[in-house]
Amino acid sequence: MAAAQTQPVAASRAVEARKRRQREEELLVWPDLVFIEFISAVLFTVLIVALAVLVDAVLLDRANPAVTPNPSKAPWYFLNLQELLLHMHPALAGVIVPTIALIALGAIPYYDNTAEGQGEWLSTPRAWLNMYVGAGTGAIGTLLLILFDDAQHAKLWEKVTGTAWPIPALRNLRAIQNDIPWPKSWTKVPLGDKVLRIDLLGLPKMHLDINIPGLLVEQIIPVSTMIGLPIVLSIVCWKAKIAQTKRDHMILQFSGFIAVYVMLTIVGTFFRGEGLALVPYTIFAEK
Amino acid sequence: MAATESPERRSMGDRVYDAIFTNRLWRSIFRSGYPNTPRNQMLAVATNVFLHLHPTRIHRTHVKITHTFCLGGLSFFLFLGLTISGVLLMFYYVPSVDRAYEDILALETDVRFGQLMRNMHRWMAHGMVLTVLMHMMRVFYTGAYKPPREFNWVVGVVLLVLTLLLSFTGYLLPWDQLALWAITVGTNMVGSAPLLGEPNRFVLVGGFQVGQAALIRFYTLHVIGLPLMAAVFMTVHFWRIRRDGGLARPL
Repeated sequence: MAAAQTQPVAASRAVEARKRRQREEELLVWPDLVFIEFISAVLFTVLIVALAVLVDAVLLDRANPAVTPNPSKAPWYFLNLQELLLHMHPALAGVIVPTIALIALGAIPYYDNTAEGQGEWLSTPRAWLNMYVGAGTGAIGTLLLILFDDAQHAKLWEKVTGTAWPIPALRNLRAIQNDIPWPKSWTKVPLGDKVLRIDLLGLPKMHLDINIPGLLVEQIIPVSTMIGLPIVLSIVCWKAKIAQTKRDHMILQFSGFIAVYVMLTIVGTFFRGEGLALVPYTIFAEK
Repeated sequence: MAATESPERRSMGDRVYDAIFTNRLWRSIFRSGYPNTPRNQMLAVATNVFLHLHPTRIHRTHVKITHTFCLGGLSFFLFLGLTISGVLLMFYYVPSVDRAYEDILALETDVRFGQLMRNMHRWMAHGMVLTVLMHMMRVFYTGAYKPPREFNWVVGVVLLVLTLLLSFTGYLLPWDQLALWAITVGTNMVGSAPLLGEPNRFVLVGGFQVGQAALIRFYTLHVIGLPLMAAVFMTVHFWRIRRDGGLARPL
């Protein structure tokens, strides 16, 4: 009891650190910070006015629900999700993945809770290495997966050898469902109305049928890819002594996430044309 | 003899200075004199409601532009700019499917500086999404989310979501083909969620397809609902920066 009173329980290290702060290391906010902020605000005001004078915002034809443009695209910052949508079940890509990604993002400080690398750019010993490895793996891995699902490897094989791709089931992800002779009964496994008890919520009873190959292609493979590959990356980097601390793993995973996000956005924005086929595309072409 | 100064010999500059900075009007607005001494400089920051977002002193490494690239401040600056240009745009815009597109056309052709305001609003909106994302990366790579700043990182993630939603709701308002179909694609993603997706989409769009009900909902969220929420979370965000001891420092 007495000990608890005399020694504040880990009152947070930042509070302790402030005592050590050297006055001579400090500057006055006015003028040293306020002026930088002011100059920065003026600079960016000029920049934005200049941009607004030079480049007009796009305005297409009046909205017409009867005419669907091809391709129809979400705003650019959601094109990563739209790109993801092409490769898995819509519920997974459109809602579940972003929700879990945001929760995971918010949980970063609760996992990486050491003071290591605090307050300076990538200051821990292996920080830059982990950033490069994470970002490189994320970007290249995403690109390869997109190319695989677009059957680019099969097309390349056909171009080079002149013969048909020998393993039809590995042409792309959907081919696993379509080109493997699954037993007919597997495509419709009745689970009855006792599995998803939405009748308890007052909704009508739901008879659940499961299409096992469909489930595999739309959900199981994408989920295990999205969860498995980052885990494999962390294990490999841990064994290779690239990532040793929590902060290392966090930099690895965060850089990978950002790279995947950027790569999906780039592909979704600039390389999805008519029918969302993988071709170069620019939104301003139709103007 | 030389040590005594007579008031008559003050220069013109001194007299102007005194006239501006020591009169009752100035003193009624600003408690401190002109910030030309360390004491007045600290008072200027501490006694002004806007500047008082800052501490009065700051570590010299935090003033280096390459430490933050001003990204958080820029996001806030863009939010303010968007508020101002947005209010001006509201003078000319009616959120009705019959008028919205014509109002935008009128803004571009009839209204003086209308096109400029619309362009600025759009570029600042895109810019804000970028600066918020880059600010998040800056905070991550400088390890500025570590204890005791965990919760402020969470507030930041909420602000990121609010920024995306603000941009998304604004996307529908010009009521052109780009707007209609981008929002149709976006809201269909919401609708694909298991069980609750379709009801949620219905609430968001106010019907089965993007029309008048969706326009008024997006407009209301865009001009009042989401900005208010963002302002509340920003208040917490800035306040927590001060409470948690300013910008993170190596221990």
